[in-house]
Amino acid sequence: MSYFFQIVVSGVVVGSIYALAALGLVLVYKSSRVANFAHGQIIAAGAFITYFLTVTVGIPIFFSFLASMIITFFLAMSVERIFLRRLIGEPIISVIMVTIGLGSIIDGLIYLTPFGSENFSFPEFLPQNSLSLGGVSISWTQLLGVIITFLLIGGFSWFFKKSTVGISMRAVSDDQFGAMSVGISVPRVFGLAWAAAGLSAAAAGCIIGNITGLNFETLHAFGIIVFPVVILGGLDSILGAVVAGIIMGLIQQFAGGYLDGNFGLSGTGNVLPYIILLIILLFKPHGLFGIHEIERV
Amino acid sequence: MSANPWLATGNFYTTYKQEQKTFFTNLDRSVFTFFLVILYAWPLLFPLGNKYMLIVDNILIAIVAVMGLNLVTGFAGLISIGHAAFVGIGAYTIASFCRTIGDSHILITHLWPLLIIFSGLVGAVFGAIVGLPALRLKHLYLAIATLSFQMIFEWTIQFMSFFNQGQTIFVGRVFWFTGKVGRKDHYVFWYFVILTFVVLLGFGIRNLLKTRYGRSLIAVRDNDRAADAMGMNPGLTKVYAFALSGFFAGVAGALHAYVYRGVGFESFTLHESIGYLAMAIVGGLGTLNGSFWGPVAIKFLDLQVERLAETAGQYLPAGMNLATALKPLTFGLVIVLFLMFEPRGIANWWRIVKSYMKMWPFRY
Amino acid sequence: MKNKTVLFLNALLVLAVMLAFTTTANAGGKVYKIGMSLAITGPTSDAGNPYAKGTEDYFKFVNDTKMLGDDTIDCTIRDDQYKTEVTKRNFEDYLDQGIVMYLNYSTGSTLGLKRDFEEEQIAVLPASYHSGNLIDSNYIFLPIVSYGEQLVILGEYVAKHHKGGKAKVALFVHPSAFGRGPVADVKKAIEAGLNLELVEVVEHGKDLDNTAMLKRLMSKNIQYVISQTVQSPVATMLKDSSRLGLSASSFGEAGKLTFLGAHYTGGNDLIALAGNAAENFFWTTSFNITSVPGEGTEKQLALAKKYGRDQKAAESHNYAAGIYVAQVVTETIKRAKEAGLEINKKNLYETLNKMNGTNAYQAYSAVGPVTYSKTDRTGVDMAQIYSVQTGVFKKVGEPIQSEYMK
Repeated sequence: MSYFFQIVVSGVVVGSIYALAALGLVLVYKSSRVANFAHGQIIAAGAFITYFLTVTVGIPIFFSFLASMIITFFLAMSVERIFLRRLIGEPIISVIMVTIGLGSIIDGLIYLTPFGSENFSFPEFLPQNSLSLGGVSISWTQLLGVIITFLLIGGFSWFFKKSTVGISMRAVSDDQFGAMSVGISVPRVFGLAWAAAGLSAAAAGCIIGNITGLNFETLHAFGIIVFPVVILGGLDSILGAVVAGIIMGLIQQFAGGYLDGNFGLSGTGNVLPYIILLIILLFKPHGLFGIHEIERV
Repeated sequence: MSANPWLATGNFYTTYKQEQKTFFTNLDRSVFTFFLVILYAWPLLFPLGNKYMLIVDNILIAIVAVMGLNLVTGFAGLISIGHAAFVGIGAYTIASFCRTIGDSHILITHLWPLLIIFSGLVGAVFGAIVGLPALRLKHLYLAIATLSFQMIFEWTIQFMSFFNQGQTIFVGRVFWFTGKVGRKDHYVFWYFVILTFVVLLGFGIRNLLKTRYGRSLIAVRDNDRAADAMGMNPGLTKVYAFALSGFFAGVAGALHAYVYRGVGFESFTLHESIGYLAMAIVGGLGTLNGSFWGPVAIKFLDLQVERLAETAGQYLPAGMNLATALKPLTFGLVIVLFLMFEPRGIANWWRIVKSYMKMWPFRY
Repeated sequence: MKNKTVLFLNALLVLAVMLAFTTTANAGGKVYKIGMSLAITGPTSDAGNPYAKGTEDYFKFVNDTKMLGDDTIDCTIRDDQYKTEVTKRNFEDYLDQGIVMYLNYSTGSTLGLKRDFEEEQIAVLPASYHSGNLIDSNYIFLPIVSYGEQLVILGEYVAKHHKGGKAKVALFVHPSAFGRGPVADVKKAIEAGLNLELVEVVEHGKDLDNTAMLKRLMSKNIQYVISQTVQSPVATMLKDSSRLGLSASSFGEAGKLTFLGAHYTGGNDLIALAGNAAENFFWTTSFNITSVPGEGTEKQLALAKKYGRDQKAAESHNYAAGIYVAQVVTETIKRAKEAGLEINKKNLYETLNKMNGTNAYQAYSAVGPVTYSKTDRTGVDMAQIYSVQTGVFKKVGEPIQSEYMK
């Protein structure tokens, strides 16, 4: 039985990290209706900036973690300003391709540095043993990841519900022209959404980097891995990202724990999320929590 | 019809039927025929090395695939991020034959044109199946559904031992009337074959777009509800768009299998899907000639960057990293710059040149 | 704006073409062309990058120190991003240029181009040690013992040093033919009498958490996990195991897991990724590594210093592997020259086949002699086991050969 609970706990932990990685995608989509295919690259960039600040510059890791979040905040904001601002109102395929192109550009830039093809790992700053409760164990890194995830997600939820800027962001996502007519600066909101996404991406990058080690290929793959999560949750729902993240985490862990090694199957954890995604989409075309768009001719 | 059958300055149509003609003037027809003759003749007159012939073949295959992608994404407006998987379906159809009856069975070496068409049909079937979610899904959700298909395809190929777990499955050398096509003539031979396919399929698309089936694609792209109100069936149209694009992709995949004489999963990954999308966009979405421009531009860019980086590498000490970084960098920049400054792609330049020529010497 | 961009691009293009025609003139001596295609970006580039540097530096060294007299080796190295398609293009290009030997990289492309190698009759040294490379092939030369044999060597080590009964073993493999292929070799060795019980074969994904998998292995009383994959997943597994307190502190500690792995799982990259969790990891390869100083590693470090490589590249075992293939190529050309043969594909192939017995070649980067013949397509037939002690790989015993492989 403890095996079962272990899988559940692991699933929830992994799922919340997915949720954190997915958060940035949701934030951008929620306000500007852009699916960001360069998210994985921003995640990787955030992790590398933290590493650079910690190891090369020598700042304590918690400060460099914060610093990298601030740097990616402005980085993502300028990306929006330079590339995406011009594409407001363009067809969705153009916007998708611009983010893909951006991803490729960031790839190229990272390949110019040693981070592109070498392996690194963060200095250890947390206890190496793990927290154990009745046979179920969880590492400090993972625990910290979960805490940061929920702090950030809680923060953003509060931000969207209560703060003026957050409310104006919601207004923009609801109706751009309506928002403009009441004096909200739509471009500014877009910029902010990207910046917030960049910030959450850096946080995700650091946590994933702590778990897997810093390898560019591994890190930027997460940009694609989390797509099923956001789609399942509904592209514009923060709550959806959390729920879907945890569902996906559980699916993966259960697939790895019970399916693999039996029935001659293997590696099902990688493909099952996509299959389940397809099935769910057939019944709920806008994900679990996504807003059903009403279209008019 | 203008009085002069060779030159026409402006429109002279009096019936819809005239507007549907393939060539408007004799000049058009002659120029096209001349161009076609050149395309078929040049490899015989100026033989290229194997490398460049392989690149040319590769470009032509990409053209076939991108024509299909352009149908579903450009004309029908359905974003497909899984096009390489459809190409893979075509290639793995050939591979399945090779696995079951041996790679030098007479079916594979002699009846290859039939097999290529058959692969296209298999691709169409899969296209239709993957297109089914399009009945309910839209925009980004649909794009992700195609992405899922891509992932499932990759996993299946890598998992099943029937597909050699993604490692190369060999395809035998084919025969022509002159006997077995040897290593020396391989790429030139396939150049002619693929070129023939490109020409036939190109005419196919051109004519398709003049029928109600072609126009219904565009109607559904522009507004599927309005199309519904006008008596079209948007759901069916979308599925059929996916099937059509699957056919093109399947043919491209089969050609790929024959040209490379082997099928391995690395040629059909998500990265390739993105490459096809980039080609379609740089060429010009929703245009037929864009499907030709895009692959040519992207592949040549790749080659030029490689060459540039190599020469730079001779002069710079850290040249190697530069070379590898330049490729994704330029690829990304080209996509982004095109979308920012010329969203209609190279096809738009072509259109401008053409209309200038047509009106010449007048400005309009 | 647009015109400027176009103009700029055109200018770049013109520049590129101009540069392309100004090839550096080579005075005197013959130039032997070698081609190499490998992944400097994309998947497995962490290995490919230092590998390419090793080869590049060694050939430079050969030319600079006039090891072949006035003759020089011109080796073109190109990135293929781990794509067979690009590898094929590079290979065709090299053939057009008239290469005499070819250096390849990935398992996928080596298998994919096998028939081309046969038809072209050109000797090929890949960086993939997959035993499947040798099936139906006469022109592919494995640089060192195959992955399968590496796993069997590790298995033999386990069987020999395990205390009490039959050792229970799990294999942790990459979800591709690269990972799965060698599993068959291990099974064959067990059938041939290797005293092990293979309980489970685990294929990993992009996992963030291996707790469930590790607990499952524990519940099946498995004590040894032998990996055949790349470093990153092994590092994640080691970290998870270490924090769960499941990692053995010495080889074969009862009730704990001892981790072992083949060539591409180990090296300094593993320590960089896993940190302290890499402690007591057993790894096998046929190359000398810099944490065990010797004559070979000194030369390796000197070479890296000469051509201004950073410490990380200089100490990578993949840098050694890159040097190794360049050494074999150079030696082959040298021998063919001494025998008064014309340097071409055929003669080099035959020279390479004669590299055995008293003619075996001692490459300083490898732990044993390089032997090739018509029947033996494996270069170094020995492997050295290393284990991580206080943060660096240390030698465990002497280089060994497997008993149960053939």
